[in-house]
Amino acid sequence: MSADRIIHGVVRGEPITIIVDGEPLACFAGETVAAAMLAAGVDAFRSDRRGKPRGLFCNMGSCYECQVTLVASGRRVRACLTQAVDAMEVVTRG
Amino acid sequence: MADLQHFDVAIIGGGPAGQAAAVALSGHGLSIAVIDEQPRPGGQILRQPPARFAVQAWLEGRSYAPLKQLLARFQALSGITWLGEHSVIGVQQGSVMAMGPEGVTTISARHILIAAGCQDLAVPVSGWTLPGVYAAGGIQAFLKGQQLLVGSRVLLAGTHPLQLLIAAQIVAAGGTVAAVMFAQPRSAMIGALTKHPLAALRRAPDLLATAGALRTLARAGTPVLFGAKIEALTGNDRVSGAITNQGQVACDAVGLCYGFVPQSAVPRMAGAQMKPAGPAGGWACVHDEWMRTSVPGIAAAGEAVGVAGAAAAAAGGSLAGIAIALDLGLIDADAADRAARQPRRALLQHRAFAALLDAAADPTDHFPKPAGDTIICRCEDVDHATLTGQVSAGGSANAIKLATRCGMGACQGRNCEPSLLRMIAETGPGSDPGFTARFPARQVSIADLLPPE
Amino acid sequence: MERADVAIIGGGLVGCAAAWQLARKGASVVLIEAGDINAGASGQNAGSLHFQIERRFLENGDDLAEQGAQIVALSRHAVTDWATIEGDLAADLHVAMDGGLMVAETAEQVALLERKAARESHEGLAVRTLDGEQARTIAPYLSPGILAANFSADEGHADPRAVTPALADAARREGASVRTATRVRTIERDAGRFRVEGEGLALSADQLLVAAGAWSTEICALVNIHMPLYPVALLMNATERTAPMVPHLVQHVGRRLSLKQTHAGNLLIGGGWPSRLAQTPNGGFDLSARAQMIPESLTGNLLAARDVVPGVTQLNLIRSWTGVTAISSDQLPIVGPVPRVPGLWVAAGGSAFTLGLTFARMLADAMTGGDADELALLSPARFEHLNGFMG
Repeated sequence: MSADRIIHGVVRGEPITIIVDGEPLACFAGETVAAAMLAAGVDAFRSDRRGKPRGLFCNMGSCYECQVTLVASGRRVRACLTQAVDAMEVVTRG
Repeated sequence: MADLQHFDVAIIGGGPAGQAAAVALSGHGLSIAVIDEQPRPGGQILRQPPARFAVQAWLEGRSYAPLKQLLARFQALSGITWLGEHSVIGVQQGSVMAMGPEGVTTISARHILIAAGCQDLAVPVSGWTLPGVYAAGGIQAFLKGQQLLVGSRVLLAGTHPLQLLIAAQIVAAGGTVAAVMFAQPRSAMIGALTKHPLAALRRAPDLLATAGALRTLARAGTPVLFGAKIEALTGNDRVSGAITNQGQVACDAVGLCYGFVPQSAVPRMAGAQMKPAGPAGGWACVHDEWMRTSVPGIAAAGEAVGVAGAAAAAAGGSLAGIAIALDLGLIDADAADRAARQPRRALLQHRAFAALLDAAADPTDHFPKPAGDTIICRCEDVDHATLTGQVSAGGSANAIKLATRCGMGACQGRNCEPSLLRMIAETGPGSDPGFTARFPARQVSIADLLPPE
Repeated sequence: MERADVAIIGGGLVGCAAAWQLARKGASVVLIEAGDINAGASGQNAGSLHFQIERRFLENGDDLAEQGAQIVALSRHAVTDWATIEGDLAADLHVAMDGGLMVAETAEQVALLERKAARESHEGLAVRTLDGEQARTIAPYLSPGILAANFSADEGHADPRAVTPALADAARREGASVRTATRVRTIERDAGRFRVEGEGLALSADQLLVAAGAWSTEICALVNIHMPLYPVALLMNATERTAPMVPHLVQHVGRRLSLKQTHAGNLLIGGGWPSRLAQTPNGGFDLSARAQMIPESLTGNLLAARDVVPGVTQLNLIRSWTGVTAISSDQLPIVGPVPRVPGLWVAAGGSAFTLGLTFARMLADAMTGGDADELALLSPARFEHLNGFMG
C-alpha cells in the first residue's frame, strides 16, 4: 500500500524523476526523498539484523531509520530531510 | 572543515520560540543566525510546505492563527541569517557547529538560544518496527508539509489528545482513520480537565479545536475509543493491523501518540543542567527567570525547557530575546522588566494549560507491554528481554549502553533512552541521569569535518 | 567487621581480572568499585591489542625507546593471555588477532620503523617491515601515501564493552565479592592489615590492590602514599557501521592514530589525541566532570585517519567520546608491591587494556607467594624516593 498525495488544493513543483535502488521513481520538485519513496510504495528503507524491513518512523530527522546513500557523493543522509532533485540517485540499505 | 561565521546571537530552532526571540531582538541592529533542519521556518507546529508547492487553505484552524502571524513577522525581519537545512552537531559556550548542504560551518556567537523543540516519545510495542508504523507527529508533519497521507486507513493510538487533531486533519484531507484509541479511560482525561477548569477556560481555542476535531471524526464515523490498548502491531513486510484489548483493527498505517519529549541532545552536550521533563519522560533545561541555562551565554526556550506547546514556546522565546538584549546592554533592567511582563504572564498561563494536558495525557500507567523480543533500541536491535536482564542486574543507563549497545546507534539514544529509563525506574529509585550526551548531536560525514584534500 | 584476604579497589579490567585470578587460587577477594564495573578507561578505550613498541616511546629519544622496548617482553605474554582468554572465560569477547600494521608516510618515519623493528626482534617480538606495495597487498584499504609498515601478526583488538564484565562475572563465579556503587572513604592500617571503609563497607584485608586507573593517586593518598600518576583525557571516535573493510589494527609510527573495525562494523579512530580535563574551582583537575572536546584534536585525528585509510571519508562520524586514563611520570605503567607499605599493591598507569590480563595474572601470582620478577621493570619501587617521608 502506498501513501497518497493530497491533490485537492495543492499545486506541486514540476514532475521530476529520482532513481531509488536503480529504479526510476516519478515525483515532484519540492518533495523530500522520503515522501517521494512513500508515495511510490517504497516504504522499506533498510533491513535490520533480523532481516526485517524497516520504515521511516519520525519524519523529523531524529530516528535515522530513513537514511539513504546519495550515489553521487557517497553521503548517507536522512531521506526525510533531503529534497528530491531531478535525476538524483539514492540507494537504500535494504 | 568549512568557514567560521560570526554572529551576535545564534538561535537553534526556527519554531515559535526561535521566531519570538528573533522578533524580540529585532531593531537593535544585531546579526542573528537562525539554524534549523527544515528548509523553511515554522517548526514542527507550522511545518511549511516546500517553497515549490502552492497549498490552499493551509492550517486554517483558529489555533494556528497567532502562530502564523508570528511566523509572518519573523519572515519579514531584516538582519536574520536563515540557515535552513542545517543540523547542529555541537555546541559549546560561544560557538555552534552545524552541518548543512555545503558542509560543516562553525558559528561563533556571544549568545546562543537553544529552541530546538521536541520529538514524539518513541513507544515500543510488538511490531512497532514494521514499515507503516510512525510517530504520530511524523504523520502530521507529512500532512502539513509534504501534503501526503501516509496510508489509506490510519490507526492512531496512544494517550495524547493531539491524536484527535491529527485524526481530524487526516479526515479533512480525504483520508480514513480506522480508529483513535486512547489507552487511558475517558474518566482519567475528563478528571484532569475538571480539576483545573480555569486553566482550561483560558485556552478555549485549543479546547474548541479539540471539540471541532471530535465533530469532524463523528461525521466521518471514526471510532474514538477509550481504555483501548494496543497489544501488538501485525503484518509481514509492513503493518496491516493491530491487536488490541478491544479486538483486532485492520489498518495500513499506525501513528503512536503517547506524548512528546524535548530534543535534549544539544543542551546536554553543552553541559547545561537538566531536569526530568514530565510524565512522558525526557530531559528539560533548567533555567532562570530570564530563560538562561546553567551555562553562561546559553539560553533555552520552547519545548527545550519542558513540552508546553507552541504558545508557551512563543512566550518563552520572547522572554529569552528580551533577556539577551538585556545581557548585551541594549536595554536597561526597567525596560526589560516592562517588556517581559506580558510574555511572563502568557508563559505562566500556557504552562498551567500544559500541566493540565500533561495530566490528561499522562502515559505512565498506559504504555503497551513489550514482548521479550520487542526491539527497544531500534538502531542496534536491542530487545526488551536483553534490557530486562541488564536492568535487573542493577546497571545504570550508561553501563547498560556499554554492555548492550542500546543507545549507541545512529539516533544516539533519542528513541530508546526514555524506554530504558522507565525500565530502570521500575526497579530502583529512578534517579538515573540517562546517557552521557556525545558529540556529534547528529551524525556527520567525516569528509565534511576535514579541510578539502 | 568483614574480613578478606585481598581487597581490590577499582572495577576495571585489571581489578576484575586480578579478582578472578586471585579467587581461582583460593583467596577470598572483595572488589570495590565507586561506580559501575567497566565505567572508566577499561570500557572507554578503543580496545587495541598493540604489541609493537608504542609511538609515544619512540618520539622522545633513545633512552625512552630503550625503556619502551623492555615492555615487549610483557607483550609476548600478553599475546598468549589474549589468545586464551575467551576459552578460559567461555565468553565471546570479540578478540580478533588478525595482525596489526604500524605505518610510515615519510622517509624519516620509515627509518624509525626499521629501528623499531630491530629493537623488537632483539626482544623476541616477530615484526616484519613491509614496503608500501607489500603493505597494500595485505591491506588494500591503505592510502598510496603509505611508504612502509611494520606488521605484527598477533596484534588486533577486543571488545572493551565485553571484556571487563566477563572478567567480573568470572570473578563472581570463583567466589569473589564484587561491590559496585561503593566509594572508599578511608583506609586505615591496623596490625598489618588494611581496614577499608566506605558507605555500606567495613572490610579488613591482608592485602590491598589499588587498580583504580586515574583515581589511583587519590586512593593511594588514603594510605598516605604518593603515586606519581597524571590523568590524561583521550579522544576517541566511532563511525557508523559499515561492511568489513579493515581487518587489522592500524597505527602510525609518526602521527597519533589507531584505527580498527569492531565486530559490529564501526570503525574506531583514536590514537592519543587530548581532550581538556575539567577543572575544580580551586584549581586541579576534576575527574568527576566531563572532559571537553578540543576541536583541533578531532580534526587532527580524522586527518591522520584520512591520510592512512582514505575510505573513512565516505563514512559518518556517529560518536566522539573521551576516556580518562593515567600516565606515570616516566610513561611506564606502575605495577607491583609498594615497598613502603607491605601488603599494598598498585596496578595503574596506562597500557592496561593490552597488558591488563598479564598484569593481573602476574600480580595474582606474586600476591599469593610467587615472585614478581617479570614485573620488576614496572615496580612502584622506582618511585620509592617520593615516599621517603610518607607511609
